[in-house]
Amino acid sequence: MSPTRTRTRTAARPRRAAAGPPPGGYAGKILRVNLTTGKTWAEPWGAERMREELGGAGLGARILYEEVGPKAHWDHPENRLVLATGPLAGLPVWGTGGLTVVTRGALTDGATTTQANGFFGAALKYSGWDAIVVQGQARDWVYLYINDDVVELRDARGLKGKDTWETQQALEAEHGLSGHRMSVYAIGPAGENRVRFAAIHGDYGHVASKNGCGAVMGAKRLKAVCIVRGTKALAAHDARGVIQAAEDIAHDLKTDPSAATLYRWGTLPGVANLYKLGALPIKNYSTSVTSVDMADWDPVKLRNGFDHRGHQCNACGMHHCHIQVGTGRYAGELLDEPEYEGWSGAGWTIGLTDKAAISWLNTRLDRACVDVNEFGWICGWVMECLEKGYLTEQQVGFRLTWGDVDGAYRLLQMISHREGFGDVLAEGQKRAAERVGGQAQASAVYTMKGTSPRGHDHRARWEEMLDTCTGSCGTLESGVPVHVTELGLPARINPFDGEQVATLVAGILGRRHFEDSLGGCIFTFRTRMENLARALSAATGWTYTVDEGIRFGRRTAAILRAFNLRAGIGPELEYPSERYGSQPVDGPAKDHSVMAQWEKMLDVWYAKVGYDRKSGKPRADTLKALGLDDVARDLWGKGRR
Amino acid sequence: MSGPATAPATVEVTTWVTKLVGGDGGGARLFEEPVGPGDTVADVLRRVSARFPELDRALWQPGRQTLAEHIEVLVNDAVLGVSHELSSPLRAGDRVTLLGQYMGG
Repeated sequence: MSPTRTRTRTAARPRRAAAGPPPGGYAGKILRVNLTTGKTWAEPWGAERMREELGGAGLGARILYEEVGPKAHWDHPENRLVLATGPLAGLPVWGTGGLTVVTRGALTDGATTTQANGFFGAALKYSGWDAIVVQGQARDWVYLYINDDVVELRDARGLKGKDTWETQQALEAEHGLSGHRMSVYAIGPAGENRVRFAAIHGDYGHVASKNGCGAVMGAKRLKAVCIVRGTKALAAHDARGVIQAAEDIAHDLKTDPSAATLYRWGTLPGVANLYKLGALPIKNYSTSVTSVDMADWDPVKLRNGFDHRGHQCNACGMHHCHIQVGTGRYAGELLDEPEYEGWSGAGWTIGLTDKAAISWLNTRLDRACVDVNEFGWICGWVMECLEKGYLTEQQVGFRLTWGDVDGAYRLLQMISHREGFGDVLAEGQKRAAERVGGQAQASAVYTMKGTSPRGHDHRARWEEMLDTCTGSCGTLESGVPVHVTELGLPARINPFDGEQVATLVAGILGRRHFEDSLGGCIFTFRTRMENLARALSAATGWTYTVDEGIRFGRRTAAILRAFNLRAGIGPELEYPSERYGSQPVDGPAKDHSVMAQWEKMLDVWYAKVGYDRKSGKPRADTLKALGLDDVARDLWGKGRR
Repeated sequence: MSGPATAPATVEVTTWVTKLVGGDGGGARLFEEPVGPGDTVADVLRRVSARFPELDRALWQPGRQTLAEHIEVLVNDAVLGVSHELSSPLRAGDRVTLLGQYMGG
């Protein structure tokens, strides 16, 4: 094993701390962990760079760009695994236990930012840390234990093979702590076996799922990160101001017409609503209609038949919950209530509509640490290919038909342990489809970069397809649109007008990276940016505006894009696969072909975000306006464009 | 698709939006609205929302000339902007659906 080294094209600037305490909301230091040497150390983080990097996605993007060179692929010890929170984490703002994972991911071998919640972010801050940066590769399985200033790499060989819930249970038993008193994020068998769409799972139901960040953790032989809820003081500059902003955020969530659904039911309404729009992915995009009575899929009925137990994140008033199945085959099972993407990926995409079975499979995916979206595409693809004869039973190893939950679970086991055909599938949908080829390949849903789309039928949500294909973070980079009028954009667009779609996607670029850098939740942050900026200002003492938040987010997007370009991921890959970009055969979007307008959408999007259409690079003037002179020099050299 | 000339248009209020018209946030509420000559999508929506102040506040921007952003409006299963605008004539038998805007994964 080679020792870890830092190779950068841009010399890393020190994150020196200024004299005096850090701004409110910050712990003021970053925990560095080198798994190769077994050393851990504190890196001071100064106020100037804090404002520039904020935390989460912004901090991680900078670290990735400065410390991971083009030859340090996703499974190389030099790759960094950044587990970061942000300045609102641990403060009394709803959903502020947030964790953002930033790394070079396994599906695209490019930049990744992906979020989860629970208690991790708050526990980290209360222990005196703003982020953890893991580098190197352990000789054998370890877990990272943090309890205030006690930071240790501990033997995790006994945890190997355990799923994520079992791992958390074992660590809770070992330390005699549970519930809110200790946060655990871990990988299961899929991560251990470097399945390219392995996720990092934590706190019984929260998942940083995108672009194989769990495979990166597996490559480093880091089984888990375990943080005792610490005892360090965490101060806000203006505590009353934070509370006032938090109350306004909560008010928005309870009263705004769309956010109120999240407050009451989370993302459950998505199933029935997206079906009406033609955006519910049914049977691997092979159809957009069903004979199932969708009246049974509204949120009230989705919760019928289950016993609910509150499972809220840090400081959160939303209604995330665990469910216990009352009757039938899964009676007594304690499961995490699926979010919308659980219902789609573990359900509709694979032709499964038994609600208890979907809930059970969804939790099994979490426990194995497999991204539910990518699993849905792969499992649905195998089902369709077997039905149509593009794959044989001999190739797959058994017969798998639409809606077969036992077969789907068997496939999950094969993938998680890389057994038989599961080893091919463990490489992700794009690589598996390319390996099989022919009509099977033409039936697979993926982006040419290798990312998995979210759990929607994007042929009726063009903005998300464009965002998925052009984004540089391994998943949606701009979406979903929220409070767009605050940014001067129209309240609604024609979803099948490419120019309007591209203008919207470009117009909202920046908001999501800003949100994902604060240490909170995508759902509780469905409020006006003004409220988030107010909360940040009150926490830190800065005067932070919506404009600065957008500029910050766009700076993060440009850094991630520059990283990807350096890694060889360019505009030639900004396309959907044949099936992903196909015209639906039925349903509300059947008369609309996204590919007929794709090039126009790219033209508009590139022009609006200030990137060069041919090379994919952010233009030099764009980078300069964002304060990224160093990135401009790297991308354009002296002869700036 | 249009129905008989004497038939009204249907306004379907679904899932969470039903809370704004006296429902529990689930299922759908149907309102049969007479459609006269020259009636537009906006006219019919204004007539319905005038009876439900909470819906009225959520559906419209101040002035009630343009829609706010958080409720999707479909006409005959197509999102507003595809086959109909607010100013488009509505015919007997047409179906207008109000959906809560979808906000996340």
